[in-house]
Formats: sequence, structure tokens, C-alpha cells
Amino acid sequence: MPVRVEESNAPAQVSGTDPGNRSPLPPSSLLGAGQAFSGTQNVSNQQKEEAWRVNVQIQGIDLEHGYLCGTMEALNVPMADTPVITFWEGEIVDGKNYTFYTGKWEATREDDMRHWSKFPSFSPLQGQVESDGGRQLDLNNYPYIFMRWKEQYFVNVGTDCGLTIAGFYYVCFSCSDGSISGFYYDPNSSPFQKLELKTVNEGRSGFSFSSYELQ
Amino acid sequence: MPTTTSSSSSAAASSSSSGNRQADVFSRLASSDPEVKLKALREVKNQIIGNRTKKLSFLKLGAVPAIASALSDADDSDKCNNILVQSAAALGSFACGFEAGVQAVLDAGVFPHLLRLLTNPDEKVVDAGARSLRMIFQSNLAPKYDFLQEKNMEFLFSLLNSENENVSGLGASIIAHACGTSVEQRLLCDAGVLEKLVILLDGSLSQREACLESLATVLKNNPDAVSHFVGLEGGRYLSSVTELTKDRYTRTRLLSCLCLVVIYNTSPSYFLNMGTKSSLITTLLELLNDPGQSGDDAALGLSSLIAEKEDLQKLADEANAIKNIVDILKTGSELQPKRLQGLFLSLAELCSKLEDCRCSFLSLQVLDLLINALRHSDANVRTAACICFKNAARSIKNLSAGHFTNDNVMLPLVQLLHDPASSVQVAVLGALSNIVLDFSAPKSTFIEYGGIKQLIELSKSMDPNARCSALRALRNLMFLADNKRKEIFFSDVKAQGFACLISDPEPPVQEQALALLRNLVDGCISSIEFVFDEDCLILNTVGRQLRKAPQAQMAIQGMYVLTNVASGNELHKEAVMQQLFPQGEAESENFMLKFLQSHESQLRSATVWTIINLISPSSPGALDRHVKLRNAAIISQLKNMVNDACLDVKIRIRTVLGQSMSFGDS
Repeated sequence: MPVRVEESNAPAQVSGTDPGNRSPLPPSSLLGAGQAFSGTQNVSNQQKEEAWRVNVQIQGIDLEHGYLCGTMEALNVPMADTPVITFWEGEIVDGKNYTFYTGKWEATREDDMRHWSKFPSFSPLQGQVESDGGRQLDLNNYPYIFMRWKEQYFVNVGTDCGLTIAGFYYVCFSCSDGSISGFYYDPNSSPFQKLELKTVNEGRSGFSFSSYELQ
Repeated sequence: MPTTTSSSSSAAASSSSSGNRQADVFSRLASSDPEVKLKALREVKNQIIGNRTKKLSFLKLGAVPAIASALSDADDSDKCNNILVQSAAALGSFACGFEAGVQAVLDAGVFPHLLRLLTNPDEKVVDAGARSLRMIFQSNLAPKYDFLQEKNMEFLFSLLNSENENVSGLGASIIAHACGTSVEQRLLCDAGVLEKLVILLDGSLSQREACLESLATVLKNNPDAVSHFVGLEGGRYLSSVTELTKDRYTRTRLLSCLCLVVIYNTSPSYFLNMGTKSSLITTLLELLNDPGQSGDDAALGLSSLIAEKEDLQKLADEANAIKNIVDILKTGSELQPKRLQGLFLSLAELCSKLEDCRCSFLSLQVLDLLINALRHSDANVRTAACICFKNAARSIKNLSAGHFTNDNVMLPLVQLLHDPASSVQVAVLGALSNIVLDFSAPKSTFIEYGGIKQLIELSKSMDPNARCSALRALRNLMFLADNKRKEIFFSDVKAQGFACLISDPEPPVQEQALALLRNLVDGCISSIEFVFDEDCLILNTVGRQLRKAPQAQMAIQGMYVLTNVASGNELHKEAVMQQLFPQGEAESENFMLKFLQSHESQLRSATVWTIINLISPSSPGALDRHVKLRNAAIISQLKNMVNDACLDVKIRIRTVLGQSMSFGDS
């Protein structure tokens, strides 16, 4: 995020969370609305090693449209006095709404493959993805969920905060333990900034779940 | 056809001379001289045509009973025909687009006399009677026509078969007015009404319009009738209706569009052609600009067409529907309540599914328009505005940006919780349910305006839907809430009140109450203490409800309550065990076994999560709890489910079995 870049991409055509109906079971209960994650994003560059603490919260998920959204909070950002919170929208690679190929945000197919292949859980899928983008894959029963998260706006600071949200994240979620790995991609930023998050439980000895229902 | 022979009154005439003239007309209406009477009838008729003020003025003076007497006193002889024609025309004019006039005409008891005119040998008399009756049948006040009576059906068909365009048009108008049930639709179709109506499509303008209205009535929600209609002469008449959407007359275009909307909503399979859908939307959007009744009706027609249909909403969006509608709303001219209702409902539908639509709608600075509509005197407009708010607030992106959290929005919405119209109350509860889910703000505005208290009050309503909606709003308000907000809520509802909500006789209300409780005990670990208030009253109530073999949706929320409580400390976990294995109750199959065998994957998942939390390896009593679960055959049940069809459940079960193995279980 150290490079200031003019954001020019229009958001993708997506729907909000599925209203009126009972929310369908998320692909993993640990990826439901309200779930929180904590970890770091490695923002090291050639000059220095650096990692920012990051909190993520899922705010909505709509499987039918392959959509999810939430907030991301960067805690020890050198340029900011307070933690910086951004709102992001995500595309779930489900073969129906979205494939492994991004097709926008300045990401070529080569960029896509270079990033996805950094996830060990992607390697069994790589051959199929290279042949047809993964459209034939049954990802519903795969214990990892691949996503792209694109930050849309700053929640608590102005756009003049010296940070950019021009890039996006390639994300892999593990259904088993709820861990999240990701790589930030922005042609104008340091490559392969790694995001590593684990599910958090607010001092509880177990897992707790909230829910809401849109009308 | 009666013509206007005498000069119409001058608008500049003084009120006194006008009053004198009216009094004079009344005396002449009662004259025994047919010529004098006829002249008076003509005079009244000519004065009131198209003049609502004059109609009201004559109405107040008792003109309708006087004209009714003229009609009923006249016999069917040739010399009275002119009186019959003029009195029928005057009565029809009173009834035309003027509800008070229709009521007065019906009160005067002229209905049977007008019907009698239809059998008069003079075509002019028949025509005048039919026109007058059509005016009456265009009003909701018109008497119900009982199609179930054979003689009525015969009479209706005699009208439809008539060569006289006003008489056949009257037949169509009667159908449009009176056919309201599927039984009536079937009866009419069985009697061959569709075959008769389609003939009128090729008739005069008035016949066509009456036919389109009655076709829509007969076809609405009636797939058999639609199929029959579409099949007539190889689809010729469906094509005719489609063709009429391009007619030069605005009303004809509107009515043919509404007819197609009904056909589409009843049997969408006849509209596979995207071009037809697109052109229907475009025509309706154009009709919105009509300043008259057609524009009013087009707005409701559009909202009905796109309701719940994402593909059509996309087409409407591509046709720039949101901007068109907002431009009309922003013109500043006074719009009829019906049009406002239709426009807001159309916007609501456009925002119901597509995030892009919500964003473009909100980008047009429309909140002020919506807020004004919340204060409109017409309940239908207030309801539509609330629905529009509700759907726009389905956007998590905009909720998260805090676009709905300001006093200007919140105050009128909270005030509407007291609205006398129940439709408004239900709609505003829906809007608030979504808006309180504001992730960005502390939601203090809503609380400051007494929102929590009012929702708790509504959760005790006599109406189960209101209870359910109020609890859903509270549930959303407590989603990821801080302790302060939870305390405000709990100090008001109290353990006793909460236990009552969970024990509500209606399962959907129980479900929402449990979902609310689930959120209440999530978050900071101290939140779990709420369920222990008043000697564990709430937790005991949850356990009792779960043991009663509840419906799946309620059981899911109940099990998540137990999951969240079981994610706490040892005391919390043991309290959950007390509910799963209550002391002193007769041994019976544990309800968790039933839940694990449920077809609902969410219920299986929630149940497995409770178990995971109970035997979490880090907790000291986990081993003992594992033994109890094993003795109750729950662990063996989980072993049978290692290949559960739901991936999430399968993964969680493997977690439990992994923990189980660490306790020495094989």
C-alpha cells in the first residue's frame, strides 16, 4: 500500500446479501457474517522488513451471487494516527459467478496464475484452471475457498491519508480451521505482500456465532 | 348519441345568478311538461360534463334523485325516449370519474332502470343506458355482479354478443369490475368469455380498452386461462395485445401493457423473448411521463412487472429507469398518491436485488424525497417509501458507509412505528430492521429516539407478524453490539420478558427471539451472563423449548444460543450440559440425536458446534462432558456421519472426532 495510485476501476456488478430469505449456510460456518479474523500483512520492501497487524470482519455473504463483504483494519500503519479501516467487497471463485481469472483490476491471466499458485491448496486445481479457468471444477466440496477481495473505500479516514486501496487481494480460506491467506496485488506496490489471518474468539473457550436477517 | 345542444354555463356567471338558475332547473326537472323537463335535463347534463365543481354543486342540491325520478317516471314509449336518453346521460356524467356521484346515482336506486334501458327498442336509448352503466362499473362502488347465477351469465353474454359497441363494452366493463376470484375466472372461461372478449380487440377504441381491462382481470394469476388465451388462433391475440402497446392512444398503450404484465406475472414462459420484455419496460417508462391516470397506473404496472425478477430489474436499470423515476419525483409538481406509490414501489423493486441499482439510486441524492414521502398524508405512499428505504438499505456497502444514519432519516422512521396504518407499521419495521444493521455507527440515534423501547413494545403486539418483525429488528440491532447497547435492551426487556418471547405460541416469533438471544450472548464473554439472570430463567426456557421437538428453524437458533453459551467458561459449559441432560427428567432419546439426523444441514452444523465447544480440549471438564455425550450415544452418532453430505458439517464432525480421540476414544 505504499504507493499512491489513482483508483479508476468501477466496482463489479454484484448484489448485496440475500434478503428476505433465511440466509443460506455459508460454505463454511467460519466464513459467516460477523466472523472476525486477526493477523498480519507483510508490507516489506527492499528497504525494510515491515508487517502491519490486520483485523478483518465479515459483514455479509451472498453465495448465490458469489459475493461477500466486510471490513479490514490495519493497526500499526506508520502514516496514520489511528487504525485505518477499509470496506471491501469480495468475489467468491465458484465457477458460476466468478472464475480464477480476474479479468479486471489490471490483473492478467499470468498475474492470476502467479498469485493463485502461491497457495499450496491450489496446486491440485492448477491443471484444470489452466485449461478452462476452472469452470468444470466442483468447488462446492473443496475444503478451501478462493476469493478476491477488493477494498472499496476508507471507512474512518479520508482519501488523503497517504494510503492507496488501488490493488486487491487474492485470498484462500481454509474451511477446516478458518485461517485465511492472501496476497495483495497492485502493479504499483511491492509484489506478493502476504496476508495471514486466523479466526478470533474474543477470549472465549470455543466458537461463537452471531447472525442477522435482512428484510 | 346525445349531443350538447344548449350553451354551457359561463364561468364568469355570478354565484347568485348561478344559484337562481340551478333552483329554476330543479323546478323544471319536476315539470309535467315533457319538453320543459327535457330541456332541463339537457341543461344539467351540459353543465356538469367534465366539471367536477358543478357536479358537486348539483349533487349537494339533490339533482341526482330529481333526474332519477325523471328516468323512472318515463315509460318506454317513443315520446319519452329523449327524456330517457338525456336522464341516463346526465346520470352517467355524474358517475364519470367521480365517486361521490357514483354513490349518489346508486343511492337514488336508478340501477335497475338503467338496466331496463338496454332492452329498449330505440338504439339511442340502449346506447345511453349502456354508457351510463359503464361509468358506474368503472367505480369500485358499483354493485357486485354475481356470475354464479345462471341468468346473470346469460345476460352478460347477451351484452358481449351485442352489435352495439357500448353494450358489448359494458359487458367487458362488468367483467373487469366484478371478476375477483379464481372461481369466477374459471366460470367465465368455461362459459367461453375469452373467445368473446378477443373479438372486441378488433373493435372500436372503447371496446378495445374495456376488453384489455377485462382480459387482465380474467387472466390474472390464472395459468390455465393464460394458456387458453395464448393458444387462441395460434397466438394471434397475444400478438394483438403486444401490438397495442404501440398504439397511438395513451390509455390503450397503458392497458395493453398492464395486460401483458398480468400475462407475464402469471406465466413467464410466454415471454422468452428479451426484446418483448425490454420493449414492455420501455413503454411503461415512457407512460410514466403521462400526467394523467395512465401515468399513475403505469407506475404501479412497472413495479408489478419487475417485482422479484432480477432479469427484468437489470433490463429496467439498463433502460435508465432509476434516473427517469427520480426525475419525475424531483419535478416538484404535485403527484397523485397512486403515482407516488407506484414510483416508490418501482424504485423499491429496482433496489431489491441489484447492488448497482441501490448505489445509483442513493447517488441521486434521493434521501430527502424519501423522507418527505414518509410524512405523506396517504398511507400507501408512506408504506411504499418505507419499502423503498428497506430495499435500498439491503446494501451492506451503503450501510457500512453510514448512509442511513442521520437524524433526518431515523426520526421519521421511528415516528412511523406509531403509524395508525398497520401496513405502514409493518413496512417501517422492515426498513428499520435493515437500517439498524449499520456497521459503522454506534446506532445511538435510534436508541436516543426510544427505538429500543418501541421495538420491545411491538414485540408484545397482538399481531404475530408485528412481533416477529420487531424481534428481527432487535436481533439485527444486537448483531455485533457492544455491551452498553445490550444492557440498555436487557434492562428494559428483563429475563421474564425475554422468557415470554422465547415461549411465544408462534414458531417464527420463537425463532426470532432465539436469534436475538444468540446475538445477545455473542461478543464479549460477559454477555453470556444474561442467560443466568433470575435463576437461569432464560437458559432454562431455551432448554425446555429445544426438548419440545421444535421446528428446525427454531431449533437452529436455539442450538446456536447453546453454542455461544458453551463457548464461555466452565460454568457456562456445565450450564449447557444441564440443559442437554436435565436432572430428574425421564430418560428419553436426547434431542441432539434428532437434530444430528435432521435434513437441515444448518441444524446439524449448529449441534456439532455446541459439542465442539463443550469438549474443547483447553477446558478442564471436557473429558467428563465427553463421557456424558458418549454415553448418550451422541459420539457414536457423529461417527456415523463422517461423510455427511454437507462439507461444513463433515469438517466439524472430524474436529469432534479428533478431540474425542485425544480423550482416548477410538
